[in-house]
Amino acid sequence: MKKHPVIKKIIKRILLFVVVLFVLSLVAFCLARLAPGDPLQSFYGDKLDTMSEVEKQMARERLGLDSDILTQYGRWFVNALGGDFGLSFKYKMPVIDVVSPLIGNSLLLGVTAYIVIFVLATVLAVFCVLHEDKFIDKLICKVGTVLYYTPAFWLGVVLVLIFSINLGWLPSSGAYDVGKANDVGNRMIHMVLPLIVMIASHLWYYGYMIRNKLLDEVRKDYVLLAKSKGCTRREIVWKHCLRNVAPTIVSIMAISIPHVTGGTVVVESVFNYPGIGGLAVESAKYHDYNLLMVVVLITGAAVFAASFIAQTINEEIDPRMKEMGTIKW
Amino acid sequence: MSDIALELDNLTVSFYTKQGEVEAVRGVDLTLHQGEILCIVGESGCGKTVMCQSVMHLLPDYARIKAGRMIVCGEDITGYSEKQMRNLRGSRMSMVFQDPLTTLNPTIPIGKQITESILKHKKLTKQAAKIEAIGLMEMVGIPDAAKRFDLQPHFFSGGMRQRCVIAVALASNPRILFADEVTTALDVTVKSMVLDLLLEIREKTGVAIVFITHDFGAAARIADRVAVMYAGKIVEIGDVEEMFYDPRHPYTWGLLSSLPQIALETGILHSIPGMPPSLLNPPKGDAFASRNKYALPKDFEEMPPMFKVTDTHYAATWLLEEGAPKVERPVLIKRENA
Repeated sequence: MKKHPVIKKIIKRILLFVVVLFVLSLVAFCLARLAPGDPLQSFYGDKLDTMSEVEKQMARERLGLDSDILTQYGRWFVNALGGDFGLSFKYKMPVIDVVSPLIGNSLLLGVTAYIVIFVLATVLAVFCVLHEDKFIDKLICKVGTVLYYTPAFWLGVVLVLIFSINLGWLPSSGAYDVGKANDVGNRMIHMVLPLIVMIASHLWYYGYMIRNKLLDEVRKDYVLLAKSKGCTRREIVWKHCLRNVAPTIVSIMAISIPHVTGGTVVVESVFNYPGIGGLAVESAKYHDYNLLMVVVLITGAAVFAASFIAQTINEEIDPRMKEMGTIKW
Repeated sequence: MSDIALELDNLTVSFYTKQGEVEAVRGVDLTLHQGEILCIVGESGCGKTVMCQSVMHLLPDYARIKAGRMIVCGEDITGYSEKQMRNLRGSRMSMVFQDPLTTLNPTIPIGKQITESILKHKKLTKQAAKIEAIGLMEMVGIPDAAKRFDLQPHFFSGGMRQRCVIAVALASNPRILFADEVTTALDVTVKSMVLDLLLEIREKTGVAIVFITHDFGAAARIADRVAVMYAGKIVEIGDVEEMFYDPRHPYTWGLLSSLPQIALETGILHSIPGMPPSLLNPPKGDAFASRNKYALPKDFEEMPPMFKVTDTHYAATWLLEEGAPKVERPVLIKRENA
């Protein structure tokens, strides 16, 4: 039976997705284990100092840390296929139970920041292009660059100092007050400062990229034709140029997921915001292998899914990308 | 409405660059009648395009109209603001550019690019605009226009795209169409079809066309009048017959004798020695003098005015001054029935 090309493409991408996840898990697994340090430290804490060699050896056997890396990976892989991702050494409970309550918090913060960053970056970029080389454009560029280079942890601390300690307007840490997990307003108040830091430290990186892309675009010939039709500058930038830059923006958005996620790591630890960003740092620090694997797989899957979606969107915006694909090299 | 579509009066345009002021257009006087096709011929960089773009107010920020007036259909538009120009662009005058591969927006369907232009200047529903756009596409010779309405430009060949650009330019019935080297990027057969199309459009809509080219062959085919530009000035202007059979300016002689068709007869492909002068510090006197073997001492000293040859034919060379030495003009193109 001849398959529909779209279905064929989707099957191909899903297969690719599986392969990528497999390779990612293998690499992450091996790298984590090759890093110096003792995972028993996170399991037993200070008690480790008083344990004898024999006890340590037995503990390793019990945790499955005694065999060589590939055997360990094989065991992990088989279990993972069955949905068992193992025990967190630090929390002493299944990693899924450690991660699942925190994913929601991270998603809320990450997705909100992500959307605000790109909407704001696009609007700012268009504004700058419309006022190219005027004072306001230069000012935005300078301020944006300074903000981008301001370290997130420093900005976080300063904001906490001003708004939480001196003014007392906003909470300094956490995702919600005790017992108010389902209170939307309470959650939003807790997100304000982390969001500001996230946005400030990423906004201009993308804004500047989009601005420069747009500046290339407004110098193209079709802009002259649009202008000689009688279009305004604003119409040209919004309707013509932005559409042509959109594939680039979407691609940047897709590959920026690790970047923005990386940002949440810092922000989550500064504001003590319970999320998987903080968990990733913790798991790496304490050699909590199983936890690390899950965090890596979740982020990896998110990045891959995003680039898949981006590719699909881009083909819709600019059909030339589909046509190009049919040319055999 | 008067008979004159466009009048340029001593138009002077300069670019202000880091190296200094570049005088791109140096005092051009020109009239374009309604429904006329005027060809402007000249080398690259002689100011043809800048002249048209300054009428459209499409020049970059570092260019400035230093002097002169531009009158479009009796309206002095020299000092018009961007907002005032926007109403004129498309509806009063329009422009077609050189490279059809880059002048259409690659991501927007052809039809939408045409209706955008229609909706800008006419109060129509989207549906009515679509019908009008399909009519336009058919007029410029795109078969199956209704089917192709939603296709992006990359589905079209270069010649087809140029037709689409012409359709975009004509969408709001302009009185003046600037065609800036529209045939340069096209191959010979497509070129002659586009030239025929321009003639046909003039018949149907009565639009006046300023046709910029460096190709005398194209000019001979469609022009009513021809103007030759050199170093930012019009050096000779006249009816197409006068320009080909009775050219007076040595630069026009040079251009005509470098036509390959003429080389076929004489066996020598002539070329004009030297390079056009830099317009950063344009020479005084006739800018062409240093490349001109017929140049008189006076040519190096003083800028020649436009001498009248006939009522329609003018040329700027001291050779036409009374008492100037007689120069044997190289015979270029003979009248067939002369």
